[in-house]
Amino acid sequence: MSNLLLAGSSATGWLVALGVLLIIAGIIVAIVMSVQIARTVRAMKRPAAVVGKWDLSAGDEGFDVEKAQKRAKTMHILKNVLVYVFLTVCALLAFLPFYWMLISSVKTEVEFRESVPTFFPHSFQWKNYWMIFHQATSASGATVSFDQILVNTLVVGLLSTFLGLVIIVVTAYALARMEFKGKNILFAVMLATMMIPGELFTVSNYVTVAKAGMMNSYTVLILPFLVSVYYIYLLRNNFMQIPNSLYQAAKIDGLSDLGYLIKVMIPLTAPTLVSITLLRFIGTWNSYIWPQLVNTPPWRMITNWVTGGFVDRMQPTSPWGANWSIYNGFYGSSMSLDTLKMAAVCMVSLPLLILFIFCRKYIMRGVSKSGTKG
Amino acid sequence: MEEMTVNPVAATEPSEKKRKRARGGDPNGEPIYTGPELSKGERFRRALKSQSGWLFVAPALILMAVFTFYPIIAAFVNSFKENYSGMTGRFSGWGIDNFVRVLKGDTGTGGANFVQCLVNTLVLTFISVPLSTLLALLISVALNSIKRLQKAYQTILFLPYLTNALAMGAVFATFFKIIGTTSYTETVGIVNIVLGWFGIKPIDWVGLGSPHWQIGSLSIPWAKYVVTIVYEIWSGLPFKILILFSAMQSINKQYYDAAKVDGASRWTILWKITAPMIMPQISYLLITGIMGGMKQYSAIVGLFGTTMGLDYDMGTMVGYLYNYIELGQTGYAFAGSLILFAIIMVITFFNNRLTKKRTTYR
Repeated sequence: MSNLLLAGSSATGWLVALGVLLIIAGIIVAIVMSVQIARTVRAMKRPAAVVGKWDLSAGDEGFDVEKAQKRAKTMHILKNVLVYVFLTVCALLAFLPFYWMLISSVKTEVEFRESVPTFFPHSFQWKNYWMIFHQATSASGATVSFDQILVNTLVVGLLSTFLGLVIIVVTAYALARMEFKGKNILFAVMLATMMIPGELFTVSNYVTVAKAGMMNSYTVLILPFLVSVYYIYLLRNNFMQIPNSLYQAAKIDGLSDLGYLIKVMIPLTAPTLVSITLLRFIGTWNSYIWPQLVNTPPWRMITNWVTGGFVDRMQPTSPWGANWSIYNGFYGSSMSLDTLKMAAVCMVSLPLLILFIFCRKYIMRGVSKSGTKG
Repeated sequence: MEEMTVNPVAATEPSEKKRKRARGGDPNGEPIYTGPELSKGERFRRALKSQSGWLFVAPALILMAVFTFYPIIAAFVNSFKENYSGMTGRFSGWGIDNFVRVLKGDTGTGGANFVQCLVNTLVLTFISVPLSTLLALLISVALNSIKRLQKAYQTILFLPYLTNALAMGAVFATFFKIIGTTSYTETVGIVNIVLGWFGIKPIDWVGLGSPHWQIGSLSIPWAKYVVTIVYEIWSGLPFKILILFSAMQSINKQYYDAAKVDGASRWTILWKITAPMIMPQISYLLITGIMGGMKQYSAIVGLFGTTMGLDYDMGTMVGYLYNYIELGQTGYAFAGSLILFAIIMVITFFNNRLTKKRTTYR
């Protein structure tokens, strides 16, 4: 196996190899150097400050202030360079899987399987995307088209985000502003359920929805996850921060509880609400386990679609001729192809990345507050 | 209740008893103005109105009753039903048979083994969480010490957070995958190529021939552990960096100025000021990391497919539950979920004991 590594080597291959080696070397050098430099700087700094500037009685023999300052400055620049190198390496490694996913999705399967992988595709095969869009696929045999899956995901995502938000807002408002008997007990009980792992509910809920005949519907994907105790808690705290005098003023002006909620509270807590909306939508987009359990392929979500194998089937009606296949290799036309899978992975990941680019502020704030994925 | 206090209509002084009923008594003994005497019907109407909060929480409460409160009771009851089938509701008797069989691995269905799943979950969690927290700490310190491009680096480093475990698991699998048949290898994967430069022979990281150690009936698929841990670190870093970095940013700059005046070195500042100040966040990350790690499942499916490796050798505790739901053995799934719950409770308990002792500096 190992001699294959050398056999298939090309100029690009070695460049890649060199690049990866440099990255690893960079990390090691950065760690070693930063420790060394920190020691040197610590050793140097004290004489420079104490002896050079203040302790005049000690005299200046053998100690050149200017030189020491110059050296400290050089060290400072060097340290900065190392920090940037370290961060760049980390950022590159964080980004590498995305890059790999993108280039793999447009490679030909033959290029993808080259024994030394290329870091930039020789040719872009956009047909891969055509294939996954037009391939009715699923692991268990039933056929589903991408359109169907996308519709499922969007309908469930939007409905559960919107309805969930309504419930969260109304409940949080009642818990923050309204007075009724048993409020505090109710809130404590709700918070206590957060301690219990969600998987404990899943088993029972599976039995519940199966018995109720709710399987294979959008309802079953939406209902069990509408209430999110953590977001209620988060929003309630946000509502509590709004001064009570506003409420009294609104009451005198004849505003009902609901009117106050819509006209005053919601606009004031808009940033939190946007964060919750985004995180909830992302959470629904990424849901895998529950749809996989309760629904058959035509009712599942986009993540379930990705895990189904993408096979190099000959398409009877492809724009590139009747018996056209992507791999064109000796494996025939029923191989599960990684390039197709990477194209599917792109279709799932890219919308999230685009959403992140536009809503970076809200998403990051929401995450740092809640620490959940929805 | 508030509407009564703002009622401006003057009225006769209400009796002591009624006043107490209306306001629940006054601590200073001062008489409180409670509005006009009300008819019985009006009082009832107002009392009802004051409870209108229940109307607001009703939707959430009904949903939680069905999908949260009932399942807790059901899990406790049903896990003691022997030979229980969730669909038909039939069972043969009461007892702890489910728990015994789950722990012994004697479920007779060819599904995942609980002890294997438990060991996998614990090993993966307790290696990947401390490692990724440490790395996140290093990156946050570096990020905190620069001025230019700080936002850009922060954004790029946050990207992995938004990804889908199943999708990115598949990408990581291609890094480690050996593609080919037994007779002909096409590519050994990037990781193996890099290792090849150091003279390490290609390892089948994720495939069927993945190396493992055998301890009794327990399999330790170390190569798959490595792959999972690499993925967990990559996907766990963004959240940890976000939390630690924003904690460092919120430290009062006066501490640093004071330390500089006193001539403290960078390392002294880091260990004597920054580290203690962000201790609450570090312990928070360790706790949430361990809790999340105990529930990992999607990443395993993304990396190793729905069978969780070869014969469920990479199964996790949550994976175990879903495995037995799919097999229709609801009783075992219930028992497994209760054991998982108990383990998480134990971790929470120890964690509470530990965090109470720790001093926080805020």
